This record gives sequence, structure tokens and C-alpha cells, in this order.
Amino acid sequence: MKEILKFDNIKAYWAETVTASPWVAVIRSLVRREARAMSAPIVQPASVAGRALTVVIAIMCFLACLTAGAVYIVNQSANDWFADIASEVTVQVIPVEAAEFEKKVTLVSLFLAKQAGIVKVSPLSAEESGELLKPWLGNSDALSALPVPRLIAVEIDRASPPDMSVVRRALESNFRDVTLDDHRRWQSELRTVTRSMALGGFAVLILVGAATVASIVSATKSAMASNREIIEVLHFVGARERFIAHEFEKHFLNIGVRAGLVGALGASVMFLLLPVVMRVLSGGGLAAAEFRQLVGSAVLDWQGYLLFGAVVVVVASLCMLTSRYGVYRILKSHD
Amino acid sequence: MIRFENVGLRYGLGPEVLRDVDFHLVRGSFHFLTGPSGAGKTSLLRLLLMSLRPSRGLIHLFGQNCADLPSPERADLRRRIGIVFQDFRLLDHLTTWENVALPLRVFGKSEASYSEDVTDLLKWVGLGDRMTAYPEVLSGGEKQRAAIARAVIGKPELLLADEPTGNVDPNMANRLLRLFIELNRLGTSVIIATHDFQLMDQCDAPRMVLNEGNLEVR
Repeated sequence: MKEILKFDNIKAYWAETVTASPWVAVIRSLVRREARAMSAPIVQPASVAGRALTVVIAIMCFLACLTAGAVYIVNQSANDWFADIASEVTVQVIPVEAAEFEKKVTLVSLFLAKQAGIVKVSPLSAEESGELLKPWLGNSDALSALPVPRLIAVEIDRASPPDMSVVRRALESNFRDVTLDDHRRWQSELRTVTRSMALGGFAVLILVGAATVASIVSATKSAMASNREIIEVLHFVGARERFIAHEFEKHFLNIGVRAGLVGALGASVMFLLLPVVMRVLSGGGLAAAEFRQLVGSAVLDWQGYLLFGAVVVVVASLCMLTSRYGVYRILKSHD
Repeated sequence: MIRFENVGLRYGLGPEVLRDVDFHLVRGSFHFLTGPSGAGKTSLLRLLLMSLRPSRGLIHLFGQNCADLPSPERADLRRRIGIVFQDFRLLDHLTTWENVALPLRVFGKSEASYSEDVTDLLKWVGLGDRMTAYPEVLSGGEKQRAAIARAVIGKPELLLADEPTGNVDPNMANRLLRLFIELNRLGTSVIIATHDFQLMDQCDAPRMVLNEGNLEVR
């Protein structure tokens, strides 16, 4: 507010601060060619150092977007995985008395359906239970001869989950040879795995981020060194520090945005093609399903692509700020 | 207009390159600044341009004490000074026309407002047919005239020229001197740093002679 009060009116404030922003200048130059000045830009648009900087930014932005996208997908898959497992419990009915077995499964299912906090009860048929064992036993006739326990999948209400110890006690007191598995041990192990995956992903992201920052700052400094003469001439002909800094900010922000967009676009294409590549690599049928179950669908949602936009903004801002610092450092040696 | 009082200058911990420099220049004056190589001519010009701060003493430019001025005000004072560098310092990626127009662009003027002035000035210094040429294809004399045009396009009150005839033949040197005299007649104070005695002999102007850091006005 104090900033605004320095100006006569809001229009002057807008002209002095908002429209003079290097971001506005770069966006204008991207969307409207006629917005560019008739004369050549004061800062040389295409130099060897500038081209090298463009390549470095595009590559580092591509790598940073790839890492950010991969970490995002892994995190999302782990969360989905954990949410699925946490919202389901399994009841196992042991086939002790063959004659009464089907009736017992139905009774247990009805009993479970009446419990508060349980949304859905899905008893698996004998064939479905057998299917689960096929990966280990194969297509064998011996399967029908075995006393295969029957599973009942119970979906619980995530908003108001039941007290599982109460449900377990009620089951055990009403039925014999019936056990409830709330996947607690599996959940605990899974939580450790997902947290490790997320932490590992963030560690990689931080490393790639640090490498990106170091490369871009270094490349921008090199590009700035080649512009020393321009800065000195502008200084001697009476340009204010703010004007010189603004010219360079505009130039380096432009490089940062364009190169960053190229990198982000490359990464987006990679992520768009990833599900197709995964489908081709994993083949069809059960193997593909298991692969998908393990690593997720590898589809990046819109929030993931938004993350790429954030990477471009950070990278371009970094270029802009480094150039600004470079200008003031050179000018300090002359004032 | 310019007053130096007991000005001394040293670079880092080295010896003083300028010692107790005292002088006063009035508006519309014309001076040569001379002395052997390494006597401190360029350092004195840089002090005048506020690109160096004196180690001691006071410098008043256009009635203001330069030591107390914040950066934006120093830039504003620099706009009242035109400078011609020994090595021209034209920007290679800009055409002759754009190089000459640079100060006006920096002052925030619109291209339409100064376009005609720049073209007229370039014709006046004999570069009418080289307006779209880049510095790398200009001869030494053409670069020198472009640098002078850039220095005077903003109608400065003070013009500083560091060895402006160092890279041109005697004939061109005479033409450039006539250009400086003409500018001085129009009201601009001029200081030309040179050790070209032939050039100085052509004009009856006071000489500021620097020798081992001491200044003497003759």
C-alpha cells in the first residue's frame, strides 16, 4: 500500500511498476510481434554465450521437469495404493465343515453387512478364490480337491470407519474358524515403503534442482561477462542503474522463458508418450496388469503439468535475478 | 561549471596518480588536456565523468558536490556530459544510426521524437550514407565521427574527448577539431585530452598540462 501511495494515482502506479515489469515485456514480446521496438534491442539478442545459455537452460529445465513429474507420479501412485489398501479389510472363512460352508459364508457376509461403518461386503466365489491361487499352483485339477479358504472383501467407510477390534471380537464370538485381516502389518510396511519412495524422490528432486540452479547461475554469469561493454557504455551515456538492470532482466527472462518452455515441452511429450511406452514394454494381459498395479498408470494429471509451469517460472526468474545481480556488480565497479 | 579542489586519486594502495588537482572551468570554455602517456589524463576524465571517486578533495559539477550524490542523481548529471572514448566503444550489434541514438533511447525518448535529429547529425558529421552500417565495417575515422555524434546527440553541456584524433590521419584530425570548435561555439564546454601538439597548435585554447599527477593550466 505504501508503494502505491508514493504515486499520484493507481494509473501511475500501474504504469511504473506493473507494465514496466520484465515479465510483462517478455509476455508481450511472446504474443505480439509489433510490441517490439523498431530499433534493435540494446542487449545483443543472439550471442554465442546467449545461445549456450539457452541450451543449458533447455536441458536443465527438461531434466528438472522429468524429475518433478516422476516424483509426482510415484507419490500419487503410492498414495493411491495406500488409500486402496487402507479402505479394505479381508475376512477369511476356513472350510472345516464342507456341507455348511456356503451357508456359513453367506451368514458371515450378512453379519458383516449389518455392522456400522461397513459400506460394502463382497464374498468371493469358489472360482474367484481359486483364481487367486492360480499364479502359484497353475491350472491344476488339484485345486478343486484342496480346501481353499473363502475370502470376503469388506469395504469400510473412510469417513467413519468401524472399530476393527470390536468387529473382530463380534466375528470370533459368533463364528468359528473365521479370521479378520485388517492389513495392519501390510499397511505399516507399505507406509514405510511409500514414505521411503517419496523421500527418495524428493532427495533426487533437490539434487536435480541444485544442479539446475548451479548450471543456470553459472551460464548466466558467463553470458553477463560478455555483455560488460554494453553495461559500461550505457552507464557512461547516462543510463540509470534501474534502466540497465531492466534491459538485462528483460533479455535474460526472455531467454529463460523460451528455453524453459522448450525443456518443459520436451518433458511433457515424454510424459504423454510414457503410458504408451509402458503398454508396449509390459505386453498385454496379467503381466501388464501387475506392472500397472506396481508402478501405477504413469499418467500425469493436470496438476503434474502445472508443476512444469512452476519449474519454468523458477528457472526464468533465476536467470533474471542472476543478470540483475551481474549488472549491479559491474556498475558498482564504476560508481 | 566544474570545480576541482585539492583532488587526489590513487588506485587501491598504489601511489597517487593525481595530486592536489585544483581548477575551475566556466561554462562555454574550450580546453586541451595534455601530458605524457600515463600522466593521468584518462583518470582525470573518468573523475569528470563520475566513473571514479577521488581519494581526497572535492569535485563540483554543475554546482553540485559529486561526493554526496546518490546513484540516480549521478546518472542524471552524466546525461549533461558527452564522452568520446579513445577506443570509440560503439556497440557492435547496433547500426551507426542506433549507436548514435543510444543516449536518447536511454533518456526514455520515443524513437519518433529523435529520429530526424539523429539522421541530421549523422549527415552533418559526414556519415549520411553509413547510417545502416555496423561498426565492424566502418573505418577508424568513421567510427570516431560516430562516437562524437553519439556524444553530442543529447546536447551535452560538457563534452569530454579522450584522444579523439588518435586513430585518424591529420586531415581527418583537422576536420574533427573544427567539429569540436563548432560545438563549443554553440555553447558546449569542451575538454579534449590529447598529446597531439600539431592539433593543439591549430587552436588558441588554454592547455591543462598534467605531469606526474600535478596539473598546471597554461
